Amino acid sequence: MLRGNLIYNISHTYLSPQLGNPLMQIRMPLHGFLAAASLVLALACTSQAQKPSADSYPLGPDSLKQDGVPTGKVTKYQWNSSKIFEGTQRDYWVYVPNQYDGSEPACVMVFQDGQGYVSEDGHSRVPTVFDNLIHQQAMPVTIGIFINPGVFPSLNDKKPRSNRSFEYDSLGDTYARFLLEEMLPEVGKQYKLTDKAEGRAIAGISSGGICAFTVAWERPDAFSKVVSYVGSFTNIRGGHVYHALIRKTEKKPIRVFLQDGENDLDNLHGNWPLANREMAAALKFSGYDYRFEMGTEGHNAKHGAAILPEMLRWTWRDYPGVKAATAKGAQ
Amino acid sequence: MIVRNPQSSFTFIFTILFGSALPWINAALAQDMALSDVLIVDEGWAVVAEGYGFTDGAATDADGNFYFADVSKGDTINKVAVDGTISVFAKNAIRISGMQFGPDGRMYACQGGKPGNIVAFEKNGEMKVIAGDVEPNDLVVTAKGGIYFTETGKAQVTYVGPGQPPVKAGTGPAKPNGIALSLDQETLAVSDYGGDYVWTWRIGNVGKLEFSEPYMTLRLPTQASAPGQPSSPAQPSKGDGMATDVAGRFYVTSGVGLQMFDPTGRLCGVILSPQAKPLVSVEFSGPQLSYVYVCCGDKIYRRKTKTHGMLYFKEP
Repeated sequence: MLRGNLIYNISHTYLSPQLGNPLMQIRMPLHGFLAAASLVLALACTSQAQKPSADSYPLGPDSLKQDGVPTGKVTKYQWNSSKIFEGTQRDYWVYVPNQYDGSEPACVMVFQDGQGYVSEDGHSRVPTVFDNLIHQQAMPVTIGIFINPGVFPSLNDKKPRSNRSFEYDSLGDTYARFLLEEMLPEVGKQYKLTDKAEGRAIAGISSGGICAFTVAWERPDAFSKVVSYVGSFTNIRGGHVYHALIRKTEKKPIRVFLQDGENDLDNLHGNWPLANREMAAALKFSGYDYRFEMGTEGHNAKHGAAILPEMLRWTWRDYPGVKAATAKGAQ
Repeated sequence: MIVRNPQSSFTFIFTILFGSALPWINAALAQDMALSDVLIVDEGWAVVAEGYGFTDGAATDADGNFYFADVSKGDTINKVAVDGTISVFAKNAIRISGMQFGPDGRMYACQGGKPGNIVAFEKNGEMKVIAGDVEPNDLVVTAKGGIYFTETGKAQVTYVGPGQPPVKAGTGPAKPNGIALSLDQETLAVSDYGGDYVWTWRIGNVGKLEFSEPYMTLRLPTQASAPGQPSSPAQPSKGDGMATDVAGRFYVTSGVGLQMFDPTGRLCGVILSPQAKPLVSVEFSGPQLSYVYVCCGDKIYRRKTKTHGMLYFKEP
């Protein structure tokens, strides 16, 4: 039973977790105290020169509304009856492309931290990207499912407890089961969704990125395509082992697009750029169909959002019905 | 007493890490809390008390006086005053493991034995049985006066509401042992001595525990079978006594040391044990509750930290 309300009904106070990364900005002055003033200046200048400006990764035309392109419909729902994450409540959104007519099953793409991806003025504006790429036949008719992490609501009007880290950072098949046993069947009551792994993709940012990989790693029979922005392949809850597992496990039938930035996090859990390089190297070693884009940004969605159309083109490039000729996009 | 506002430290760390304010992330996502946020360079463990059999039951009062028992051969609850003086707080207190002050000023304690009791010590030292025919190991008393305690042998967490009989409240851990509350007292956490996790529940109405999760993954002892020796059995975490600080971090004694977790259940790090003896109980006490105290075998140790303990008997 789906209880929908209207398109893009999004609270602007509920942003995605992606923010600018001021780490580099504070680090130079901190180091500077240990050095001579001139050296401080020199370092700071070097740093400034190497640091990309805020608009190094602008959204391209595929991420912006284009005249003549049919627009899909986004509807917001709540899922408060999870058995796998019992007691949690969460919002989710379903994007249905204009081209979906129910005559055949649609492909599916799931996004963690869904609100940030689905928002009309969010970092990635996925519905608009889907509108454009589906119109160009650069990707198949795909229903997007944008799921927020669960929270345990307070009974005493206090802040809810977020279940995000437990759901996204934990290794194992729990989140995959949550999707396969709860979310996809629920959305499937209203829309005809493919049950083929080839037609299912999953994406996320930060902990949502490693979550996307975990879902496909655990259930390659169910999800075959992974897109990760600044994925947390670090030791938050043991995810730093993946690169080693990939090298010593028979190759699984999954395709992975990783994005990270040179200025991503370096903290107690690990070093994000190194971890993503390890992942890419391991995927290469074991012969995976993968791509890795290392940019210059920090722990945010800017670069990932800018290249999302390219990520999707690459991800869906050989899916039946996708036109290879359009793979360069509407430039 | 508590000199630092937890919200302001969250905000500070949050701002350092992420910059602009993100209302929805609240405390949960904000913190990347390293051991260096808590430990002070050159401030190691110092012996506070020694010469006991098996110390346990770390507790504090609001003034920073520290309390402990000797569960193996003691018959007193001992008090370490803020100035370091050790005295007897209560006599005729045998087989006491976990204990905590309640909001009514009484000291509540787990008394072992089959069966054992939940008992309370009045300010004059007189002991009263609160709940009998139980097998308690460790307990917390909430600001509302509810008592949660672990019954390790029964693999259950039990609740005693004010003036109520004990009721089974939660299961999950194989050997539920240490027990703690979140900063807002909305969540109960219990370590599994025989397993790999600290479990959490939302505290529901009338003390009911609901929605269990293996929320914090404990680091386990490294194990290796030696050449020519029988296979080494898997070692459990030995997760034991717990405490909470004003930033909402959880502390858990274990086989590898004192493990620290952030409020979202992510391991921040492991603080090394002061000696190679069982590390079983932890509490913040001393001046401004800024020292972390541990019961470790025959001795009580403490070390100064950058944080402060949370008092469960005070309204959050």
